[in-house]
Amino acid sequence: MLWVALHLPCLSLESFAATLVVGDAAAAAGQPIALVDEHRISAANAAAQAEGVKPGLKRATALALASRITLGQADATRDAEALLPVAHAALAFTPNVSLPPGSDGAAAHTVLLEVQASLRYFGGIDRLLERLLHAVRPLGHELRIAVAATAAGAAVLVRVEPPPRCPSLEATRAALASAPIWLIGPGREHWEALQGMGLRQVGDLLGLPRAGLARRFGEAMLAEIDAAFGRRPDPREAIVPARLFESRLELFARADSTEQVLYGASVLLARLVTWLSAQHSFVRRFRLLMHHETRWQQGDRTPQATSLEIALAEPSRDSAHLLVLLRERLAQVQLPAPTLELALQAEDIVKRAAPNTELFPTKQSENEGLTRLIERLQARLGADQVQCLGAVADHRPERASGLSRADAGARPQRAARSKGRRDASTASAPQEIEATAASARPVWLQPVSEPLQERRSRPLLDGRPLNLLSGPERIEAGWWDAGLAERDYFIAETADGALVWIYRARLPLSASGANESGWFLHGRFG
Amino acid sequence: MDLVPLSLVDSLPAVQLPGEWLPEASVRARPQTARPVVAKKERRAPETLHPALWLGHQIGRTAGDAVATGFAALDAELPGGGWPRRALSELLLPHAGVGEIRLLAPSLVSAQRAGRLVMVFDPPAALSAAALERLGFDVEELLVVHTRARVVPGSDSLWALEQALKSGHVGAVLAWLPPRLRTDRLRRLQLAAHNHDGAAFVMREASVAGRPTASPLRLALQPGGADRLQLRVLKRRGPPLEAPLQLALPPVLSSAARRRSESDRERASAWQAATFVNFA
Repeated sequence: MLWVALHLPCLSLESFAATLVVGDAAAAAGQPIALVDEHRISAANAAAQAEGVKPGLKRATALALASRITLGQADATRDAEALLPVAHAALAFTPNVSLPPGSDGAAAHTVLLEVQASLRYFGGIDRLLERLLHAVRPLGHELRIAVAATAAGAAVLVRVEPPPRCPSLEATRAALASAPIWLIGPGREHWEALQGMGLRQVGDLLGLPRAGLARRFGEAMLAEIDAAFGRRPDPREAIVPARLFESRLELFARADSTEQVLYGASVLLARLVTWLSAQHSFVRRFRLLMHHETRWQQGDRTPQATSLEIALAEPSRDSAHLLVLLRERLAQVQLPAPTLELALQAEDIVKRAAPNTELFPTKQSENEGLTRLIERLQARLGADQVQCLGAVADHRPERASGLSRADAGARPQRAARSKGRRDASTASAPQEIEATAASARPVWLQPVSEPLQERRSRPLLDGRPLNLLSGPERIEAGWWDAGLAERDYFIAETADGALVWIYRARLPLSASGANESGWFLHGRFG
Repeated sequence: MDLVPLSLVDSLPAVQLPGEWLPEASVRARPQTARPVVAKKERRAPETLHPALWLGHQIGRTAGDAVATGFAALDAELPGGGWPRRALSELLLPHAGVGEIRLLAPSLVSAQRAGRLVMVFDPPAALSAAALERLGFDVEELLVVHTRARVVPGSDSLWALEQALKSGHVGAVLAWLPPRLRTDRLRRLQLAAHNHDGAAFVMREASVAGRPTASPLRLALQPGGADRLQLRVLKRRGPPLEAPLQLALPPVLSSAARRRSESDRERASAWQAATFVNFA
């Protein structure tokens, strides 16, 4: 059995700093933050300690030393919610991930992994630890790692400075023997007594009679030491990730700008990505809820929460891509009130194997890249602005082409179908298209036909007469709906040599005013 | 080692063999084989040293292979023998509908036939599916992006084009840029085009012909009669092209109609010449 312990020494500070939603990392590091517990400082970050604020000072002293300091309360629920993504990230490496029970100071903020069975797959303990650190890095926590042969031993050794790596039981016992006693959880309250007796390290306790130790300091301490030394079985229950993902981030101050909301959303998205990697699945749809501050005014219809739903064409686990989509959608939403709390829910999960990463672009990666490009364009411009052209069976030229919204997810199937069409068409010999005026259609069609003036029975475009070259082509269609078209189409040449497609409406125009010539410009040959 | 100029090779002194001193007359009489031959180094042309080098009077070459335009006369005048890849090609038009789609159709259709995506950004008018199918396009695979639907005209059109160029997965791009575009914006698009493995065409108004541009190729198009296009190469990697090119586009008119148009043109020009009659 090989246990790895991940300890987060500053978890409370970091989870509190995440609620401040300061996006700029440099500004966040320079801001002094401290946590207060019953009017005394319990933790302070590096910037606060540089100004002289240390744990144990009174609140008023801290405010006097550092006037810019932000003080917050430690919240165990918030810390547990911030520790869970680390456990989820570890679940991608082994199913035996456990959180030590009890939230007392000794074993808090530690994640234990049993990795003996995963060593061969990941290529050794060093490679595994490297990949574990890489997976946890996006969460932005400070980490300490220790490796030991027992779970309790690893939990103790991770708090030793520096955390040792003892793969074998003998090395674990040797390292534990020189560990300070106050790291053992249940014996903390007796630490002064033990120090008075001259017992500072765990190894000092080993030589003493067990019955006496149990009577004076309690059975729990002895049980803990036995478990750490591997003399007592210590089964740990593995955590199971929740079936549905829901994570909340309560902001310290109200967020007025999109950047702050986006930073908070990026924290939640990092948690979502670790939860997905624990499940070996991908997300297809997720929702961001922004809870606004309530207003107690009469008749104020400000909604309590704004919900933003992002649906992906291709299930994805890439936090950068999800953040880009969220950013584009958020830029178009007008928030009615400042945001107090953010919540992220993942609604549609797909279990799949991860795609193989390739060095050279292949057809599949190109299709995925195109799907993402279309998703990005639709997220920013609007889903209806990215369109596919299609031919419609209608003789009226203005209705013969239809634009429909492009479906990013259907790209691979469409590409395969069009490849089949192309192969079939190139199999037959390419024939020369004999230009028949009957089938000539211009590439550019005016959305609304432009009426033309007439002089000496010749239509004018921009004041210059057009030269009719070919025609007429009669199109009569649309008697079944309101768009009746009875037209004679001609191809004409303008004075500078461009070809245009004009028609003469056969029916007398009802109420068009002065321009009764009946000539219209419908398209240009591009 | 220095390159020895050709003119001096013959006047090099003969090498004296060690241990022997011979008077000059016998040196000349010595058989030629005793004299070591200095290898004649011919001058290497710079274009053979590196594909990106070219002299002022030559047409440059593109770093990669170029996309064939489909018109032999145009291929001969473009560096690399076609539209450049990984760079923008600028086309200046007086108005839409001079024959630009028929000019670009062969290269775009070949990109579609190779299975890649062709994207069109902000076409100036509605596209006709029937006309595009006649030119050989696979209409359902064409993606049309409208970027100016929002009331506030912003940088959306340039953003969308930049995203498509930077992604590197798009086969060919055809874009109509907003008028009076700033030079630095075009330069940014040109930098984004370095990631784009294919042809990228941007259409602009003809009035910017006098302004500098960051794209390596600039053509001005004008209608040259029925089914003909007059093309001037304003900027290319090579010597400027003085005479405009006349290209025959894929025809939409029948041959009879085209002949009629040409005779009409001649008659019109003949009439104009007849007005300058000297009555003196």
